[in-house]
Amino acid sequence: MMRGPEARLRLVTALLIAALLPVIGQLVRLQVLDRDRYQAEVEELVMRPYALPLPPAGTVRDRNGDLLVGNIPIYGVGAQIDLITDTQMAAAALAPLLDLDEATLLEKFVIREDEEDLRWVWHRLAHGIRGDNAEAIKKLKESWDWLTLEPTWLRFYPESQLASHTLGFVNADGNGYGIEASQFHLLQPRPAAGMGEVDVLRVPLSEELAKGELRAFAGTDITLTIDRTIQAFVEGELDKALTLYGASGGTILVMNPQTGEILASASYPDYNPSLYSTYDVSEQDRFVDPAVSVVYEPGSVFKIFTVAAALDSGSVNRDWSYYDSGLIEYGGVLVRNSDGAGHGQQNLQGVIDRSLNVGVATLTTQYVGANVFADYVLRFGFGRPTNVGLFGETAGLVHLPWDLSWQDGYLVTNAFGQGIAVTPIQMATAASALANHGTMMKPRLITERRTPEGRVVPIPPKVAGQPVSADTADYVVGLMEHAVETSIVKAQVPGYRIAGKTGTAQIPVSGGYDSVEVITSFIGFGPLPDPQLLILVKLDRPQVDLSVRWGTQTAAPVFNLVASRLFVLLGIPPTEPIDP
Amino acid sequence: MSVAWQQSTHGVPRRQEKVNRTLMTTFVVITVMVASLGLLYLGLVASSAHLSSDIWHMHSEMAEIQRESSRLETEIARLSSIPVLQVRSVALGYQAAEWIEYVDIVDVGAP
Repeated sequence: MMRGPEARLRLVTALLIAALLPVIGQLVRLQVLDRDRYQAEVEELVMRPYALPLPPAGTVRDRNGDLLVGNIPIYGVGAQIDLITDTQMAAAALAPLLDLDEATLLEKFVIREDEEDLRWVWHRLAHGIRGDNAEAIKKLKESWDWLTLEPTWLRFYPESQLASHTLGFVNADGNGYGIEASQFHLLQPRPAAGMGEVDVLRVPLSEELAKGELRAFAGTDITLTIDRTIQAFVEGELDKALTLYGASGGTILVMNPQTGEILASASYPDYNPSLYSTYDVSEQDRFVDPAVSVVYEPGSVFKIFTVAAALDSGSVNRDWSYYDSGLIEYGGVLVRNSDGAGHGQQNLQGVIDRSLNVGVATLTTQYVGANVFADYVLRFGFGRPTNVGLFGETAGLVHLPWDLSWQDGYLVTNAFGQGIAVTPIQMATAASALANHGTMMKPRLITERRTPEGRVVPIPPKVAGQPVSADTADYVVGLMEHAVETSIVKAQVPGYRIAGKTGTAQIPVSGGYDSVEVITSFIGFGPLPDPQLLILVKLDRPQVDLSVRWGTQTAAPVFNLVASRLFVLLGIPPTEPIDP
Repeated sequence: MSVAWQQSTHGVPRRQEKVNRTLMTTFVVITVMVASLGLLYLGLVASSAHLSSDIWHMHSEMAEIQRESSRLETEIARLSSIPVLQVRSVALGYQAAEWIEYVDIVDVGAP
């Protein structure tokens, strides 16, 4: 039996162990048995949703890298009201910076009854603060802890209204127009938000951030095929033309037929995308892009496709001719030439030069037939969107023989571009097939994308189809060139071989066509034989004298002005000697 | 053996010597190792926290620089935009040409 110190030592050891056992027991309970419950409590205490600063949306630039849509930082300003010591002084200092009067600001500094029990009270004071005011508020924040600044972004259009229809806008719900809407999924930044350990101001703790689990990405940058200089020039020429001819609206499209690149797309009415929210509901029709979303009956410009279809299908050969009596009746529709006269024996060149309705109606009704003609109409891309990449593009309206709505009369009227509704972009694309030796390029507005990681994704030209053979296309282009040389002299550009065709289309109204109002247009391209520039000019309801209310008199001269300058701007040298 | 292991202190026999010394050495070594590991761990945690703090600050600075960069970029774009340049040109006395004629110069630079 042990006695004395040794026994006491053992006793102390036993007591210590006895005292430690509850501690160990508690540790086991906390760390093992009740682990989940305590972990949940801790998470509830420190785990909160938080977000990293939102990076900017992608930019939109023109083909030369000039910024068309960018982002400017703006700030939401708030205050932790219960910490403000001198509200009068704060209101006096902040009011001019927030564009508010002091009385309004002082009202925001008041703690409401329902907030009195809260541990801390925060009120939003203003939003959309930017520029020097934002910088001044940042300086104030250095001495006023209660002031909060929430950075965010505002879309900014440095060129103001330039290319408004092409660029478009997106509202807070993600709906809008133009490239901004169609590419919204790429342009918008990817915010980073999640649950994590945060401090009292919901700023993520350093350890949380260091995990790197959340990453915010800026939007994808987009480079357009648009050239801002050409766009500005074309918009200016469209404005002048609208004023000169008293037209209610119009469109000028500039395209490279070899690549399908849209160099400029100007339409009126237009708008300022920065101020889209200020437009009245009644004015919001102007957001719709007439180049891709509004259809019109193209009129005689369509004859080039009728002739191309007739030749390419083998329905007629190049020596074809007919006797033009000035009148043709088919399917209950009576058609006359635009001048009301008969022109005797005519060939394909005469049909295009004189823009003979009877000639093309004869081709479709007596040689081509409804099914073959419809096939070529579809081959040229009519009746379906071009998928140029703009929001709200429409397919147009094409009547086909196998549709229930088909009437035989359509075979006559469609031959010269009536009874068929197309968009300017469809017309330009179809004509580009003829300009490009039968190969139709898909029209495109985006030349490359740059991802937030810096990866450049070029968007190459894409062939949309080969509606007619190169032989047919070149022959029709020859007919069009002759028409410009002999009949549409106002479209001629000295030093350049130009092919083109005018159109003067009646406007459908309830029960028929408007007897006075027309849409005049011209599609031309050059320099032949390998056109690098295709220009479509369309003027809605020009208010000039009836005797000159024709595409030849209104749209063709606009083409001349635009083409003359663009050949120089694009560095396309003359192909022919210029007479002094 | 008991004689060799015992030492008389105040007349009380105690067991000590070699076994206690070994245990003590082991205890000290383990204590030093645990303390060293603890210090190392604390040092790493402190360093990690410091680095994390730096990352957060750099993150904030980067966001601020990005905002400033975007602001400057849009300001440059606005100042060099066509509408602004047109106004500036007019202010400088330039006028839009009424008529432009392009001259075809053939064989420039030919010997």
